[in-house]
Formats: sequence, structure tokens, C-alpha cells
Amino acid sequence: MEIRRVVPLAIALSLLLSAHFAAQRAGGPGDTQARVPASARAAAPDDYTGYWVSEVTEKWRFRMLVPDKNDYIQVPLNPEGRRVAALWDPAKDEASGEACRSYGGAALLQVPGRLHITWQDDNTLRLDTDSGTQTRLFHFGGSPPANEKPSWQGYSAAEWGGDEPRDRRDGQGGPVQDKEGRLVVVGAQQKPADYLRVVTTRMRPGYLQKNGVPYSANAVVEDYFDVFSDPYTKNTWLAVTTMVSDPQYLIEPLLMHAHFKKLPDASGWDPTPCRANEPR
Amino acid sequence: MGSNAMQSKRTALILLLLLLASRPARAQIDLAGEWSPRVYNTHMDIGDYTGIPINEAGRLRAESWHPDQLDLPENLCRPHPIDIGLRVSVSQLRITPELDNETHQPVGLRLHVAWQEPEQVIYMDGRPHPSANAPHKWSGFSTGRWERNTLVYTTTHLKEAYLTRTGVPKSERATVTTRVHRYGNLLTIIFIINDPAYLTAPYIRASSWIFDPNQIIPPFPCEISPDGTIIAAGKVPSFMPGKNDVLADFATEYGIPLEAALGGEETLYPEYIKKMKTMKVAPRTSTEHYRRAQ
Repeated sequence: MEIRRVVPLAIALSLLLSAHFAAQRAGGPGDTQARVPASARAAAPDDYTGYWVSEVTEKWRFRMLVPDKNDYIQVPLNPEGRRVAALWDPAKDEASGEACRSYGGAALLQVPGRLHITWQDDNTLRLDTDSGTQTRLFHFGGSPPANEKPSWQGYSAAEWGGDEPRDRRDGQGGPVQDKEGRLVVVGAQQKPADYLRVVTTRMRPGYLQKNGVPYSANAVVEDYFDVFSDPYTKNTWLAVTTMVSDPQYLIEPLLMHAHFKKLPDASGWDPTPCRANEPR
Repeated sequence: MGSNAMQSKRTALILLLLLLASRPARAQIDLAGEWSPRVYNTHMDIGDYTGIPINEAGRLRAESWHPDQLDLPENLCRPHPIDIGLRVSVSQLRITPELDNETHQPVGLRLHVAWQEPEQVIYMDGRPHPSANAPHKWSGFSTGRWERNTLVYTTTHLKEAYLTRTGVPKSERATVTTRVHRYGNLLTIIFIINDPAYLTAPYIRASSWIFDPNQIIPPFPCEISPDGTIIAAGKVPSFMPGKNDVLADFATEYGIPLEAALGGEETLYPEYIKKMKTMKVAPRTSTEHYRRAQ
């Protein structure tokens, strides 16, 4: 008798709580105010800050050494790209003040070295490298100012990625139409953000490898950053997938990967100037 | 039934319902489909162990490897274990949901790779890994979970095989933790290989694919010739310790100190660039080595 009264009460309570927690987790239609975080920093799904060191397990001979001229076997260069790569002259780059060409935004994370990542302000993540003493600024919610001059690191627009709503009906719901016919997603179908996406443009022409493999001023670089812990050592890792699109020199986008291990402090930080004929 | 027992049952029921109500929705993304590889072959040369945290035992095994082993009859149709199968061409990838035969309920995901058609099932229904004595297979045994929108799975029970196509070994004790990230139409898979027999540290590497719904993965038939191969029956080509006369070729051709070319954990870090400058490098015989067809 008792239990017959309690069960409906508990079910009703659980449904209410479920709806409440779902709204807290993701918000619902018309609840955008609750989901907009105060800043990119507040919305960060992971902690990217701190010191990191490259672990060069990929393309070792292209990164730990300066490869020979014309050694671009892993880069989908088009004929024009090959022609320009054959013109590489590091001494000329040094003499003309262009030694930073191989430290530009498209390839900086391929250069072995250490990173220091900090929040410059609530909506700007700053990445400094000791190799080449470069700085990349990741602007959340920003787009390149019209008068932005090309630079080695270009302009980087950043966002937290992975929280795009599901775009199809999949048996568990999917977008539904609101009264105005717009597709909206109910709270339970939202996903949490889980990576950092950075799109970089407005770069000065530079090199994808130390040996003069070119990218142009029109190149677009997409970086995807993930932080995770490996189950064996419990080390924290930063893994970056980089996609460079540059129809001027590439027949298709180039994909590269880089891995960094988190360090407890700045030990080993070794700032160097840009050097045209050194691996870092 | 006493009132205390009834009260306990009632409390337990309420707690259970509350627990169900507060359980977060499982975050997951759709990985299913055809994925076209953007995989760049590496470690194509004998004596190229660069970037691998290999130990002495692993190096000794690697140095004994002879390329003619690939022509042994038993090796002609031997697949790569799944972690290297996904690393080297041809590695078109298909991911499909894995359904239980009886109930047709999803129990995980299935990966199918082009070359030699290895299949890997990643169970996500909470089943445990088999006992350590269970058979080891080319695709091992994998269980996975979602970490937010990243598929993370652990593979055990892999057969002894290789980390590279040129003989760097991986033991049957190795386990692989794999992280599958989908960034829109880009898929990145990160492999973290832990091998207490041949590595001093986990070996991390990654590959990427582009979503390609029109991709067709052709069948990969492979038959062992009844006539044998060019290798005489009963022979296993190999190099005895210290007798590998082509071991240094890679280092010489690319102007790398031999010690650096033979890998090791120390060689992975930026500080090693300075150290290499103090090492002996054999005179180069060519600077055109990279022009060989890959």
C-alpha cells in the first residue's frame, strides 16, 4: 500500500530532477543565456596551460635534422611547389632577415622544442616557443581585423570544438523544428566541447620543413589540440593535428601531427633565435 | 514483513530512481563510415629506428631482421597487427557498428582496413578482457569507452609482430591504447603503444583520415603459393648479432649519427639535437637516397 504511493512520487521526482540536470548540463531551446560562458577561459574543457616539450616520434629525420634540399617525400607538393622548394638557400634567408620562414604558423609546432601556454586574457590563449622565440595568439570569438598585416604567425581564430549538435535523427532524437521552422536541438542532444580548434590565416610565406618546402601567403592552417593522460605513465600529453591547405603549392591539404609531454616547470627552456639552417 | 524492512526497501527504491535520474547522458559521436587515409609511410629503411623509444633487446631483435623474411611462405599472407595496419598504406578504413548476433543490440564498433583485411572489434558493452592465457590474435582483443567525444580503447592479446615494416619488434606483451578523435570530416587516431619487452617508454604516434562516403575498399585476396617462394624451404633469413652489413646504410645515406638512427628514448627530445653535433657521422655516399620510389 505504502509502496504504491511512493513509486509514482519517486518517478515524478526523478523526471523533474532529470529535466533539471539536463538543463544544467546543456540548456535547452531558449536557454542560450545559461549556456553562454563568461569567457573562453571559463568554458575551457581542458587545461592547456603550462610547459610542454616535443616528443619527436613522427617524421624524425625531417625535424631533428635539416633535410636535404628537395627531400619532400611526405609533402603533396604540386609542380610549382617543387620548383620553389628547389630554390631554397638558407644563407640567403639569413642574410635577408628571412630566417624565421621555417618557424611560421604552419610549421612551428613541428620544430622540436618547448611550449609555454598561458592565458593572455580571458579570451586569448598565448603559445610561446623557445625554438625561434615565437608567439602564437589564439583569439576566441575573433576574426582577423581588416588591416591585419601578414606576420610569421598570422592571425589565429580559436574556438572550443566538439560540441556541435547532432545533425541527423539517429533514433535518439536529433534536431527538431521549432514554431518558426528552425532546427533546434534539445538539451539532451548537446555534446560537451572537448578540443581546441584554431584556424590561422594572414601568414607571411614560409616553410613547411626546414629545407624550404614552401607555403604561401594564402595558406590556411587548421590546428586541433587535445589534452589527455596516458594510462601507462600517467603523463599528460598535448596532441596536435595540423592541416595545411594551400592550393598554390599543394595538390591536397597536408596533415601533420605533433605530440608534447607536460613538464612540471620551465626547466630546459632554451630560447633560440630563428636559424635558417638549424633544426631548431 | 516488518515496517523497518518496508522502510528500507522504499528508501532503496527512491535512491535508485534518483540515481537513474541524475546519470549524465552518454556523450558520443558517429564514427561510422568510410575513411580515406592520409597516411605517410615512415621507417622504410633497414636500420631506421628513429623516434622509437626502443631498448637494447628490441634493438638486438631489429638488427637480426632480414627483408627476405617477407618472402617466407608463412609470411606472404600475414596481416599487420591492427595498430600498424592503420599506420601504413594501404589503409583505407571502414568503421561500422558491431551488433550482437542474437539481440541485434549494439555492442561496439568494427574497424576494417584494406591491406590483408584485418578486422578489429571494439567492445563497448562492459565485457572484460579474456584471461592472459587466451589466444593472441592479429587484431587482439579490444574494449572501449567514450571520454566525452573521444573513443578510447585498449587492445591486449596481440600476436608478436612489428612496430615498423623493417623489423622493429613488438612483443606479445604489448598493449595499445588508442584514441579516436573526430574533427568534423577529419579523423585522427592516436596510438599509445606500451611494450615492456622492447620499449623503455610508451610510443605515441598518430595518423589521420578524411571522411569519404564514396570510398570503395576492394577485396584483398591472398593465397600462399603451393610451389613455395624464392626462399628455400626450412630457411629463415636473418642477420646474426653484429653481422648486419646493411644496418648503417640508412644513417650513412642521410648523414645521421648511427647511434641516433638506432633510436632510444633520449633521441626523442630537442636536447638530443645538441648532442648529435658531438657525434661521429660517417661520410655520406649519396644525397639522393630519398629519391627511391616509396
